[in-house]
Amino acid sequence: MTIPGVAIVTGGAAGLGEAIAHRLADEGAAVVVADIDAAGARRVADALTQSGATAAAVPCDVTRGADVEQATQVAAGLGPIRVLVCSAAVESRQSVIECTDEEWQRVLDVDLKGPFLCMKAAIPHMVANGGGTVVAMGSTLGLIVAPGHPAYCAAKGGLVNLCKQAAIEHAGDNVRVNVVAPSATDTGLFIRFSAEAPDPEALRQRIADLNPMHRLGTAREVCDAVAFLASDAASYTSGCVIPIDGALAARRM
Amino acid sequence: MTGAPVLNFQRLLPDKVALITGSGSGQGRAAAQLFADHGARVVVVDINDEGAAETVQLLEEHGGEGMAVHADVSSRPDVDRMVAAAVERYGRLDVLYNNAAVQMSGRLVDCTEEDWDLTIATNLSAIFWACRAALPHLLEDGGGSIINTASTLGLIGSEGYAAYGAAKAGLVLLTKQLAVEYGPAVRANVIAPGSIDTPRFRKVLEKTPGAEQFVDGLRRTIPVGRLGRAEDVAAIALFLASDQSAYVSGAVVPADGGLAALR
Ligand SMILES: NC(=O)c1ccc[n+]([C@@H]2O[C@H](COP(=O)([O-])OP(=O)(O)OC[C@H]3O[C@@H](n4cnc5c(N)ncnc54)[C@H](O)[C@@H]3O)[C@@H](O)[C@H]2O)c1
Ligand SMILES: NC(=O)c1ccc[n+]([C@@H]2O[C@H](COP(=O)([O-])OP(=O)(O)OC[C@H]3O[C@@H](n4cnc5c(N)ncnc54)[C@H](O)[C@@H]3O)[C@@H](O)[C@H]2O)c1
Repeated sequence: MTIPGVAIVTGGAAGLGEAIAHRLADEGAAVVVADIDAAGARRVADALTQSGATAAAVPCDVTRGADVEQATQVAAGLGPIRVLVCSAAVESRQSVIECTDEEWQRVLDVDLKGPFLCMKAAIPHMVANGGGTVVAMGSTLGLIVAPGHPAYCAAKGGLVNLCKQAAIEHAGDNVRVNVVAPSATDTGLFIRFSAEAPDPEALRQRIADLNPMHRLGTAREVCDAVAFLASDAASYTSGCVIPIDGALAARRM
Repeated sequence: MTGAPVLNFQRLLPDKVALITGSGSGQGRAAAQLFADHGARVVVVDINDEGAAETVQLLEEHGGEGMAVHADVSSRPDVDRMVAAAVERYGRLDVLYNNAAVQMSGRLVDCTEEDWDLTIATNLSAIFWACRAALPHLLEDGGGSIINTASTLGLIGSEGYAAYGAAKAGLVLLTKQLAVEYGPAVRANVIAPGSIDTPRFRKVLEKTPGAEQFVDGLRRTIPVGRLGRAEDVAAIALFLASDQSAYVSGAVVPADGGLAALR
């Protein structure tokens, strides 16, 4: 029971967000699964409830202020909001020249404006209840770049700065804000992306071999970092980026 | 105003065509003048027509060549038009200097969705649009240089600049991405100004209680002991625009009098 209170997990219907929702519930939190995939959110909330946790599903497009407000209200109805995990994101693989207006806007809206709107809605509740913590899912690609990800890199890079600002602005309110930056992980969007390759295993191994640890990260490792940051064990840690990347970013300046 | 004392015994941009957004004032204007002094034809883009016309006049008075183009860079069609206007007039494009920006302050929780959208559009999406429109020309002519203006506030966490800081930080990553994706034909670099004494800066000061004291305090934190001048930034932009920086790409060059060393 290291994380009492209510946790909102955006993008909690799939991938790392789903794993994080389970982990926070295991740590004692009541979990609101907020996702644009309403059926998926329902499925995850039901599984949490079945395992004895308190959970609710909210259909929520994080780019829409009204949806985010709704999810926040549902959470506040369950008790004091202590944790916000911003995991909802979309990826795009297009060069600058190929990237359309719509694609650019969609990635910036979901991956950067989404966390902005969620923090804007949830932080005042945390302040009113004596504190809380935000964990945003960044990415190695918010720290360094790779060809073909202009919108994703820009959004994740912007997210780091946004979180540092929120951390400073609310340092006196007992609200901590941190970023977890995974590299390719065995769960979620990378696995789905690689499944489309002619030889998925070969691609996964190639990506893993770029990593000093020569393997992909695991959902458990990401959840460990999120749980640490969301708990009092991290009470003096705010405005930081924790790479969960097998030393990948260490190779870079 | 012949600009900074760097290498101006030599013309560093002969026959180049440079488009500078927000060059109707401040840093953009100083760069337009310096680039023209170095032989470039300058496309002076601004939302403020009067400012742009004045800049063109200033550089013509010095024997330079340029044209004013009206554009609001937060509008995608305007951005496409400004690039097209440059290429139509001069037949090529060598330097794209994205300098225009809006600056709104306010804590994250107080930032309205409207302010967020405008800031992200003007300070981040506009640069993506401009690069996308310009890249085919930069690639065609070879040796192209993209210069994007971020800010110290895009490199560090601060308070009170939620959307601005996020947009500028995103811009740093976007620029690195451009460097990686479009080298060797195109180089892309960031200038990160600290406190530069421009009309914008003056405007912010007017609203700051105890402005003189504030500036004094600021000065004391800057290792070189003074605020920056628009010409200081223009000198860096000239270097990045010219072949002098042929081996510099994906870099973030602070224009901050040493401030970044403290952070
Ligand atoms: N999996 C990885 O290898 C990896 C690596 C680095 C970073 N990340 C980051 O971790 C986070 C989680 O990634 P994942 O792998 O679990 O992704 P995922 O695609 O498996 O899950 C993302 C979830 O977000 C939801 N979502 C998408 N758009 C939404 C919107 N507008 N509103 C609300 N929900 C929306 C989706 O429905 C989905 O349930 C993301 O922020 C991602 O960028 C993942
Ligand atoms: N002055 C500083 O202390 C400082 C510090 C850090 C970063 N910067 C950055 O430096 C750049 C230049 O700033 P400055 O101090 O010279 O400002 P300035 O206000 O003196 O000049 C900016 C110019 O951009 C134009 N502009 C604004 N919005 C526009 C739009 N939507 N479309 C087209 N033109 C537009 C304005 O009309 C003006 O002529 C900006 O990117 C700013 O964020 C400035």
